[in-house]
Amino acid sequence: MDLLVQSLILGLLLGGLYALLAAGLTLYFGVMRVVMIAHSAFLILAAYLAWWFSSSTGLDPLLSLVFTVPAFFVLGVLVQRVLIARLKPATLTMMSVLLTFAIALTIEGLLGFVFSGTQRRIQLPYSGASLEVFGARIAVVKLIAFALAAVALAVLYVVLKATRFGQSLRATIQNSEAAALVGIDTKKVAGYGFGVGLATAAVGGTALSLDATIYPSLHWHWIGPLMAIIVVGGLGSVPGAAAAAMVLGVSQSLLQIPMGTTWAQTIFYIVLFATLVFRPHGFFGGRLAQRF
Amino acid sequence: MRNASDTATTSASGSPTVVRVIRGVQVLAVVAAAIGVLVFPQTGPGPFIMSVGVVILSYACMATGWNFVGGFTGYISLGHAAFTGLGGYLVGLLILRADVPSWIALVLAAVIVAVLSIPIGFASLRVRGASFVIMSLALVLIMLLIFQSWSDVTGGSNGLRVPRPFGPEVLRPEQHERFYYLHVLLLVIMLVAWWAIDRSRFGAGLKAIREDEDKAQSLGIPTFGYKLSVYVISAFFTALAGGLYALWFGFLDPIFQFSILTGSYMVLMSLLGGIRSLFGPALGAAIVGYAIEFFKAQYGDTQFHLVALGLLLGLVVLFMPEGILPSLGRLLDRLRPSATSIREESAEELANKRAVLVGDNGGAS
Repeated sequence: MDLLVQSLILGLLLGGLYALLAAGLTLYFGVMRVVMIAHSAFLILAAYLAWWFSSSTGLDPLLSLVFTVPAFFVLGVLVQRVLIARLKPATLTMMSVLLTFAIALTIEGLLGFVFSGTQRRIQLPYSGASLEVFGARIAVVKLIAFALAAVALAVLYVVLKATRFGQSLRATIQNSEAAALVGIDTKKVAGYGFGVGLATAAVGGTALSLDATIYPSLHWHWIGPLMAIIVVGGLGSVPGAAAAAMVLGVSQSLLQIPMGTTWAQTIFYIVLFATLVFRPHGFFGGRLAQRF
Repeated sequence: MRNASDTATTSASGSPTVVRVIRGVQVLAVVAAAIGVLVFPQTGPGPFIMSVGVVILSYACMATGWNFVGGFTGYISLGHAAFTGLGGYLVGLLILRADVPSWIALVLAAVIVAVLSIPIGFASLRVRGASFVIMSLALVLIMLLIFQSWSDVTGGSNGLRVPRPFGPEVLRPEQHERFYYLHVLLLVIMLVAWWAIDRSRFGAGLKAIREDEDKAQSLGIPTFGYKLSVYVISAFFTALAGGLYALWFGFLDPIFQFSILTGSYMVLMSLLGGIRSLFGPALGAAIVGYAIEFFKAQYGDTQFHLVALGLLLGLVVLFMPEGILPSLGRLLDRLRPSATSIREESAEELANKRAVLVGDNGGAS
């Protein structure tokens, strides 16, 4: 019973991180119809920066957010403006996948080149600490990671719902031509959308660095589940992605009890496969999904 | 060298002699390349260079196999490594666990992969663009998980040793040479198949899907059936390439067999050479394959080859998405008397041409 509760809680905590990252992916897809394969590579990059920051200054890795979030925002705007915007609209979806794939490879290669392929882990004074919740032991770092993801998601939600920028971003996602007609600078908004998306990768990466062992090729283990989440959630729907992230995160965690960690990961692909066969536009998605 | 991007304007422009000269140059280039490939082992290159030659030919087979889907329909699959890996593993497992003779195992494995690709294609071809790419990536990742975890059957992370098809009396250099020619044979079979589809009604339908799937469907092309058929054909050939590689290399490790990198190599090679051209993927494989081997030899185990691959792929996607061969073709076109925007054909000539075309179609259907 304790094991079940523990898995359930761990699953929810993991689901929170998945939800934040999937929200970022959904933003790119929403504003530009781009599937950003490099999202998880930036995630690992942020994790490496947090590790590097903490091991070279001795400060808490969470402080690296002060630098990485703005830097990743600018980087995101640049990626959209300098690279993605150059692609021809007719082949944008396919070519952007390849382009972001190329970015992912480059980041992985550079990380391996600069930091070597050695596995890295941050040692914190509170690394070993844990809390008792309903008889389950939950590591404090996992709670911090979840809190970070939850706060970032909440901020994202408020920005999207309550600010003028959020309104124009959502308008651009819903119908970019109409948004342009009512006076929204959709190109600028698309760039900022990318910036916000990449900022979520910065937050996620820092959260990940707290309690995960990181290595350059780790991002492949993240991109598969994240891609499955956004397809199952219905491409382009942030609530859909968040819901799918939670459901799949908990399922993965619960399935680890009978199946072990490796086989439990297949749940993402099985659900992805089933979704495409029975409901190709996902479970929460709108009309967008099937076309892209 | 007829390819899918040939348009009516090129054949209508220029004087017949210039066109004939250019065609002659193209044929000559292909013949010269073919002779070069066939004669290469006889020049005594030594075992290492010979093995590089086999690797490059293997890439050429994989890329050409990939191009059945990528080139005709425009569906970019990043996950064809799933088929090469499955092909390789099935060959190994059939030989080891079922005592099937090597060459029969090779064909049987490819047939099994083709059958497996029917449900996979059914699921992934229902969606377009991004979802298709995601599905193809997921396919490799799931295969990697399965073959790493299911170690009772596949040997797991320890790998699988595939027995060699030739007896112990055949030494290494001789092995390389035999497999070199076997890869050439496979490549030729694939090129002929691609060429035949390119010229067929089936191929025309597939290319219509590439240009505009909705319009193709509204014109009565059974788009889903066509896509699925060519997907299965592609899986079959890619699996053959993977199986032949497994027989040559003799050792399979899931990390390398089901690597996303292998799949992306196929895409990069095909895009670089030109996915609409018959010889594009093979040319791309020669260039990229040589570069990969060069980087591995120069920089060893560092991750630098990833950076090089990433940058190259990015540059190709940004600046040359059509590939080398179409770019070369345009360069050749400049030599021809320039195509005028106004047709230098009288209405009568056009009417005659149309009559001939209609006659052709009437005879064919």
